[in-house]
Amino acid sequence: MAHRWGMAVDLDRCTGCGACVAACHAENNIPTVGPDQAGRGRAMHWLRVERYWEGDFPDVRLKFRPVMCQQCDAAPCEPVCPTYASHHTDEGLNAQVYNRCIGTRYCANACPYNVRFFEFFNPQWPKPLHLQLNPDVSVREVGVMEKCTFCVQRITAAEIDAKAGKRELKDGEIQTACAQSCAARALVFGDLNDPDSDVSRLSRSPRGSKLLEDLGTLPKVTYLDRQTQV
Amino acid sequence: MSDAPANRLSDDLLRPLLQTSWRFYALVAFLGSIVLMGLGTWAYQMYNGFGVTGINNPIFWAVYVTNFVFWIGISHAGMVITAILRLVNAGWRRPVTRCAEAITVFALMIGALFPLIHLGRPWLFFWLIPYPSSRQIWPNFRSPLVWDFFAISTYLTGSVLFLGLPMIPDFALVRDRTTGWRRRIYGGLALGWTGTPKQWHRLESAMSIMAIAILPVAISVHTVVSFDFSMAPVPMWHSTIFGPYFVAGAIFSGIAGLLIVTAALRKFLHLEEYVHPVHIQNLGKLLLLMSLLWAYFLFVERLTVWYGNESAEIAVLRVTQKGSFAPLYWTMVVCNFVMPFSILSLKKLRTITGCVIASCGVLIGMWLERFLIVVPSLGHKYLPYTWGTYRPRPVEILITISTFAALVLLYTLFVKFVPIISIWELRAAEHPSPALLPAAAREQALGETQA
Amino acid sequence: MSAVYAMYPDGDAAQRAVDGLRAAGFADRDITVISAQPMEGHEFSEMNKATWLWHIASAGGFLGLCGSTWFVQMTELAWPLQTGNMPIVAWWPNLIIIFEMTMLGAILATVVTLLVTAGLVRRMPALYDPEVSDGKILVGVANPAEASLPDLERALRAGGAAQLRRS
Repeated sequence: MAHRWGMAVDLDRCTGCGACVAACHAENNIPTVGPDQAGRGRAMHWLRVERYWEGDFPDVRLKFRPVMCQQCDAAPCEPVCPTYASHHTDEGLNAQVYNRCIGTRYCANACPYNVRFFEFFNPQWPKPLHLQLNPDVSVREVGVMEKCTFCVQRITAAEIDAKAGKRELKDGEIQTACAQSCAARALVFGDLNDPDSDVSRLSRSPRGSKLLEDLGTLPKVTYLDRQTQV
Repeated sequence: MSDAPANRLSDDLLRPLLQTSWRFYALVAFLGSIVLMGLGTWAYQMYNGFGVTGINNPIFWAVYVTNFVFWIGISHAGMVITAILRLVNAGWRRPVTRCAEAITVFALMIGALFPLIHLGRPWLFFWLIPYPSSRQIWPNFRSPLVWDFFAISTYLTGSVLFLGLPMIPDFALVRDRTTGWRRRIYGGLALGWTGTPKQWHRLESAMSIMAIAILPVAISVHTVVSFDFSMAPVPMWHSTIFGPYFVAGAIFSGIAGLLIVTAALRKFLHLEEYVHPVHIQNLGKLLLLMSLLWAYFLFVERLTVWYGNESAEIAVLRVTQKGSFAPLYWTMVVCNFVMPFSILSLKKLRTITGCVIASCGVLIGMWLERFLIVVPSLGHKYLPYTWGTYRPRPVEILITISTFAALVLLYTLFVKFVPIISIWELRAAEHPSPALLPAAAREQALGETQA
Repeated sequence: MSAVYAMYPDGDAAQRAVDGLRAAGFADRDITVISAQPMEGHEFSEMNKATWLWHIASAGGFLGLCGSTWFVQMTELAWPLQTGNMPIVAWWPNLIIIFEMTMLGAILATVVTLLVTAGLVRRMPALYDPEVSDGKILVGVANPAEASLPDLERALRAGGAAQLRRS
């Protein structure tokens, strides 16, 4: 049976440390834009950690919410791309084909989660930082859109490995960079088509909900959150 | 009927072609330098990266898309006016027909440039064109941007032909009246036109068919441009009213543009005998009508949002009416409704000057309206954590200014090489036949009963 | 054989000349009338009015309709890529493309037919006089037979022509 990749994010476990963000940058060759550009709203965190304050002093609570591309099954970013650079794969991922992108940025406007990013300038990695680039992931040039891919390079590598070894993929064998680096194990990645996988189990949890579910985008990331007692 | 009036008409209307003053060269040089500056700015943007603009996350579309919608809107001047006026055989259309159609073609050409300017990788724009590529992949016909491409290409083709076909008899006239290189060039452009009844009939049939065909295409063009917004799940974009709203706004800004151009041509080319105050006042009355229609659409849209109380849409409504965009919003309301209404509904104020002032206000107001549709909504989508602000950078401002200069430059060159008022149509009006309805030959002020 | 024609100052004089030519036995297709604007309201301007142009424009539109319907389906199935939750062949968006191509077909058919039937793709015919652009109307016969010349000249003079010309 085909895979259907999804994630679960446990907000009760997330400490807001940001290790996932750093790991995502490292794995996917995401440039840092510098303080000026970040101040102008051009930071490129494929995965961002949102921070919310809830309640009044002294009952203040801090909530963190990591948001990445939700790989929506009814993604509004896909039909609007004039060149098919944004389309849906058989495994349920929203693919972004950098070579096909001409940079109309319509997909970014259509995305309600604002998880799509635009290369405003050609990214620079002054020596010796260029040595940290991941050879499995392309470096995008100016003018194209990019976003979280559920570390598709790791998925593909594991699938090729499993096919060569004539075996099935085990749950937990593929780890996205963010899930791998999360110390609190708040991020879980896996196959939603496998009813016994961790992510399937968590997505069925009564604590689970989807982000902006009423928009009908059918996102594949489940957020687990204890309902606060009022 | 003697020769004198007919010759005077063609003499007057051919004078801009045959006589050139230093002012023409000065104007072309001035406008040309601004246009070159704009092109240089675009080259700078392509070389240094799109980051030199003010675009950011989440406001990925701003001034360029505003300009795109604005210019496509202006382009509705010609087609709708002349097609509708041609179809109802309104005689007062004759002096303004070609002015309007020229505005349409040039505004379309400029407007169609903006989707290229706003691309991240503009050198790959041709992937929007459906051609058989070696990889067998075609554009995505589900994308409103591809619909834009088809609609604008069809409209541009139709407009160029709609402008060019009635120019053929006038080119023949210029061919017959000139010598030397002018005679050769205009002779070529006239395509061997003589003026037999058969040719006139074919031309008029073709123009009628084109008028009937161009009208739905013009409406579809701005509807399709509105689909760029209404197809996306963005608060206050995803509205069913956008199609008619944009078409009405386009006709509105188109009439304003036409009025200004007609008044300017009347003054600078000394066409007071052919463009009478009643023509401009009729356009002013149409402008008043469109202003009321625009206000109606604005009210319907905002009432629905306010009453519906959906939190994301209310946030956008609030930021335009009370928040950081409020100065622009209220300027827009004054320029689009309050000022035109005050000026154009009072006969004493509805002079040529008054109409031109109202039209300038409308152009400013309509540009602001496009801006206020694009930017506040993008800055306030569904997740407040991602809300953002936008400020245009010099690159965008310079390119915007240069497109206005480009329109005036193209128009100046057009007026130099083509008679701006269709000579054969005016002559036909001066020989009214008993078979034609009286209204087609007499100039009638809109809304006034026949004396 | 050269052409014989005369210039007339207004439509009524031209109408008399045309009537005279018809009475002298010339067929409508041999009579050439040239004017600088359409002389509606005069009977001679009704010559050659019947046209297939409307039918051809509709046919062009129909061709555009059929062509674009096939085209959008073919391209969407050529490389079927899933986007959003939409079907591979998405009829709502396709309708827009089909509409535009239909109108384009009608427009192009009209223009091409105009150019061909108005004879605009040939060199200028021999029978022409630039004085037409001053508002005069030319009436004449392009290739008259020798025998009919006296009748021809009489008919043209009857319309009130000051002088006859040849080209």
